Amino acid sequence: MCKKLLTGLLLIFLIAVLGGCGGSKDSSDTKVLNIYSWADYYSPEVLAQFEKENNCKITYDVFSNNEELLAKMQAGGAQFDIIQPSDYMVTTMLKLGMLDKLELNKLPNLKNIAHSLQKTPFDPTGEYAPVYTHGITGIVYNKKYVKTTPTSWNDLWKSEYKGHVILLNDCREVFSVALKKNGFSNNTTNPDEIAKAFGELKALNTNVLAYDTENIKQKFIANEAWIGMMWSGDAAYCRRENPDIGFVIPDQGTLIWADTIAIPKGCKNKELAEKFINYMYDPKVSAKNFDYIALPNPNAAAIPLMNKAYSQDPILKLGNESGKKGEWLTDIGEGITTYDKYWTELKTGK
Amino acid sequence: MKQKSGKYLVFPTIIWLSFFFIIPLLIVIAVSFASRTPYGQVIFNFQLGNYARFLEPLYLRIFIDTIFVAVVTTVLTFVMGYPLAYTIAKLPKKWQQPGLILVMAPFWINFLIRSYAWVIILRTQGVLNTILLKLGLIQQPLALLYNDAAVLLGMVYALLPFMVLPIYVAIEQLDTRLLEAASDLGAKPFTAFRKITLPLTMPGVAAGSILVFISSLGMFVVPDVMGGAKSALVGNLIQNQFLSARDWPFGSALSIILAILSLVLIILYYKVLQAKEGGASDAQKLA
Repeated sequence: MCKKLLTGLLLIFLIAVLGGCGGSKDSSDTKVLNIYSWADYYSPEVLAQFEKENNCKITYDVFSNNEELLAKMQAGGAQFDIIQPSDYMVTTMLKLGMLDKLELNKLPNLKNIAHSLQKTPFDPTGEYAPVYTHGITGIVYNKKYVKTTPTSWNDLWKSEYKGHVILLNDCREVFSVALKKNGFSNNTTNPDEIAKAFGELKALNTNVLAYDTENIKQKFIANEAWIGMMWSGDAAYCRRENPDIGFVIPDQGTLIWADTIAIPKGCKNKELAEKFINYMYDPKVSAKNFDYIALPNPNAAAIPLMNKAYSQDPILKLGNESGKKGEWLTDIGEGITTYDKYWTELKTGK
Repeated sequence: MKQKSGKYLVFPTIIWLSFFFIIPLLIVIAVSFASRTPYGQVIFNFQLGNYARFLEPLYLRIFIDTIFVAVVTTVLTFVMGYPLAYTIAKLPKKWQQPGLILVMAPFWINFLIRSYAWVIILRTQGVLNTILLKLGLIQQPLALLYNDAAVLLGMVYALLPFMVLPIYVAIEQLDTRLLEAASDLGAKPFTAFRKITLPLTMPGVAAGSILVFISSLGMFVVPDVMGGAKSALVGNLIQNQFLSARDWPFGSALSIILAILSLVLIILYYKVLQAKEGGASDAQKLA
């Protein structure tokens, strides 16, 4: 009797374990759209409206960087219908055959994307990864402490900012600063150029208060940092919270980035996923969404419909106008190992 | 019959451990001998390159730095933890339980949140600096965060309970008759403490030290949040291999090396403990 009971329990346990591996399938008829994206990339209202119109349920999971997205996709098992890789990650994913081609005739709203962003270096035919939001990296500074407006990356090296500089905790971004300062491409794989940039960064290290990506905004809002590098969207957010925050695009040039929206190969609900993408580029929906998330909107048709807080934001405007000064980060393949080694060294050299 | 059915009770545990501990560990070991493509795909061609790479000065230095930080953390938690554990163990019985609960209370809040709480206390315009400025004790805010001292503070704070609890147990179980005998024979309290309490509670100290030392070896949240990600420990290096360098094989090899280091320490601990216990029972026999 006791034995049977235990065997029964064991069976239940096994079923639970094995069932858990099989992935969750919704038993009801409502379809589920699984989104894997960055945090705060959707207005909840906009998502709810899509759920209602299409009688489906949306799950929205977030990752904190591209590598995490790639790792999750490579580990397999995860079932996503919509993913949002950035520029260089699109290249990687295309090389690995991870993205599904979009049927453009089913996505008429994609033509609303600003002309300059229709075709990108990472998706030259515009059939895989339309730009969802984009931005530019520039110098952020607090006017309370930085009296003369910075104009060049060299300003970060000024001795008066010792212990008050904050950089992103991101290898390629930080190297871009030093590479651009020297007039190099931020996609260089030339070992001498990378070594020179490393030398500069080592010198800059004495000025650096911290490397931070997730909480860099809070550090500037709380007046912890005086000057540093930041993405235009984040800088616009900081300025709304702390009016002393300023943002400039350095003369030497900088890097630009875009987060895209794509469908992974093997997606179970391609039709629904395409419907969703098309929906997100509807001018009205897009305006409502970007009014809420307050990031640069590439949707040209939506811009006239957006609220004042967005359309008159000086930093977002600057970001949109100075795209020409920027260079995309591209996938540099094996070259990343050189960067990574220097990056590790930068973090250990005291 | 009874004994037989009892055996089945262990099955769920075995299944659990093999699914979630042994199989993942075997995968990590396998990957540590693999190589990878530029896009981070793992290729299984047996090679030792990842372990050889660990011997490069850059990575060795991170290991040495990490061990140094772990040693300092262990010593500091001991210096702070022993008096605390002693005080709690000597409290009247009804106050001991609340004392222990206070030591463990921080665990009720997620560690990441507690780290950010430290940031709020220590940052330039944080609680501490504001108070000191208001009191006129300082003119300029102090740079309390994003340096090695802040990392140590965070580690000691996080790991102190792991030191206090085993020491408390050791002191609590100490046979007080030994102290009475010492006092009868004319030993001053401090001498009795030094000659009896301290040596007999050493197993608790050793257990606490092992717990603190091994936990600090794998720490990566504190250097990131409180150290401003400026100094990398092994934990950060491993995290970086998986999440940004796309080098799972090297990350796996580093994890295995760290695991072996911890294992060696634990074995040493048991060896020392056994020797000690052997010695102690010999002494008892003599008595």
